[in-house]
Amino acid sequence: MRNPLLADADGRARPIQAAVWYLVVIVLVVLFFWASLAMVGVALDFSFVARFQVRILDGLLLTLAISAGSLVLSLVIGLPVAVGQGSRVLPVRYLCDLYVKLVRGTPLLAQIYLFFYVVGTAWGVENRLVAGIVILSVFSGAYIAEIVRGSLSSLDAGQLEAARAVGFTRAQTMRYVVVPQLVSRTLPALTGQFASIVKDSSLLSVIAVVELTQTMREISATTFNLFGTYLFLAGLYLCLTLPIMFVSRAFERRLTYAH
Amino acid sequence: MMSEDLIGRTVSRRGLLAATFAASGMLATLAGCSSGDSTDAATASDGSSKGTLKVAMELAYPPFETRDEQGEPTGISVTFMRDFGEAYGYDIQIENTAWDGLIPSLQTGAADCVISSMTITDEREEQVDFTDPYAVAQLAILANASSGVASIDDLNQEGKTVAVKTGSTGDVYATEHLTSATVMRLTDESACVTEVTQGRADGFLYDQLTIYRNQAANPDTTTAVYIPFQDPEYWGIAVANGNDALREELNAFIAEGKENGEFDRLTDQYLSEEHTAFEELGFRWFFDFDDSQEQANA
Repeated sequence: MRNPLLADADGRARPIQAAVWYLVVIVLVVLFFWASLAMVGVALDFSFVARFQVRILDGLLLTLAISAGSLVLSLVIGLPVAVGQGSRVLPVRYLCDLYVKLVRGTPLLAQIYLFFYVVGTAWGVENRLVAGIVILSVFSGAYIAEIVRGSLSSLDAGQLEAARAVGFTRAQTMRYVVVPQLVSRTLPALTGQFASIVKDSSLLSVIAVVELTQTMREISATTFNLFGTYLFLAGLYLCLTLPIMFVSRAFERRLTYAH
Repeated sequence: MMSEDLIGRTVSRRGLLAATFAASGMLATLAGCSSGDSTDAATASDGSSKGTLKVAMELAYPPFETRDEQGEPTGISVTFMRDFGEAYGYDIQIENTAWDGLIPSLQTGAADCVISSMTITDEREEQVDFTDPYAVAQLAILANASSGVASIDDLNQEGKTVAVKTGSTGDVYATEHLTSATVMRLTDESACVTEVTQGRADGFLYDQLTIYRNQAANPDTTTAVYIPFQDPEYWGIAVANGNDALREELNAFIAEGKENGEFDRLTDQYLSEEHTAFEELGFRWFFDFDDSQEQANA
């Protein structure tokens, strides 16, 4: 008889086992939160959802639009930067390096204010939505560059020599050796980064981009229903990020090769 | 040997007691604190100290609620509450709390009262109880100098943008009265001011003191515009619904303060320059209570 608490020797859980224990964990977490709410003496009230449904939906759609736009633009920024960090042209290499260090080493909030009110004003960026997407992409691009650079540098030089030894052209080496490994190593992390973009877009509320978080902040300010609004907000973000994390896991499983 | 042992035991027991207190305190904070705590503190004893009074405020509105160079809470509200604690036997503990969290902190018992330049409004009164007014404030406009805004009516036009701080009384006023203009809600006052100085917004609606100061800091790009015929905003100290014992003590202290010159002392200590400037501009002073007395009696 196998111990129902433990996964198999190879680390897998049987489907029923997984379902049961996941459910138990969820119930425990919900109970803990429920008990905390009861101890604080807060009665949750979600009546605002019906009253403000149009604004909430608008905010949700804007968050989705910002996230999608930033995903594309941050890839456009991040991929060349990752390559540029290994460039033999030193100004390019150092520019890419400085960009990654500056962005990763400073808070997004500071970047938003400085970009919007200094750079944005100086160069006449009037549209808040555009400014927001650009700022978020510049921020996320640095993380994507790091993810890609990490997997590029993890490629074993011996593989490239081996590819040359069997007579692969440069294109064939890319197609059959480099790209498959790069995809398998970066795709799960990139998908995870997309989940971060969705969450980080909430900070654009400080420059009056009325996305989901700002919408909820405004509703909370008029209804004083801090717990209801933010719990609902957290739930909405989870609805967006959980599927993304699920996809990220699936990629991880599908694309894991035995090295 | 014997006495050493005794001392050691006493000390360690005391240490244990302190640790237990600290742990229970942390637990209470983690759990948002039960509502029973505040009543315990108030009824602990009628002696010199009735225990700790947790006072929540957002330390982001000088000179009412702010921090000194060392990061310690200071300002009119802090001094006022410390004076109250001295007179009524409380140890005052200032809890710096973000604006959105102030009213919830009373509802969860994380704080006993809130003094944070908070206007008494009907909506807020549904959530908490307020003391009598201790100050009165009015709104003003920080207008962009080239926007052509010289009155509140100039601002309430199609195509005009009004910056407000989310949830502030300026926000409430703009939402209610400036229906033709676009209302832009921001988290930071400094962001609102920047919007105006850069011309992204035509005006920023906030209290007279903030507007006066920011106009003085940006004399070339902004003008301060007075708003006539507005309802004055009365600031009150908020307590949890039904905490009448504390509310009445605070009311008594406010009433005494109006008589014994407490508010004049606070003015001299923190705002003497502004007091002169307000008098020159014809603005109403924060502690000019003539109206509020009438309202309180009405």
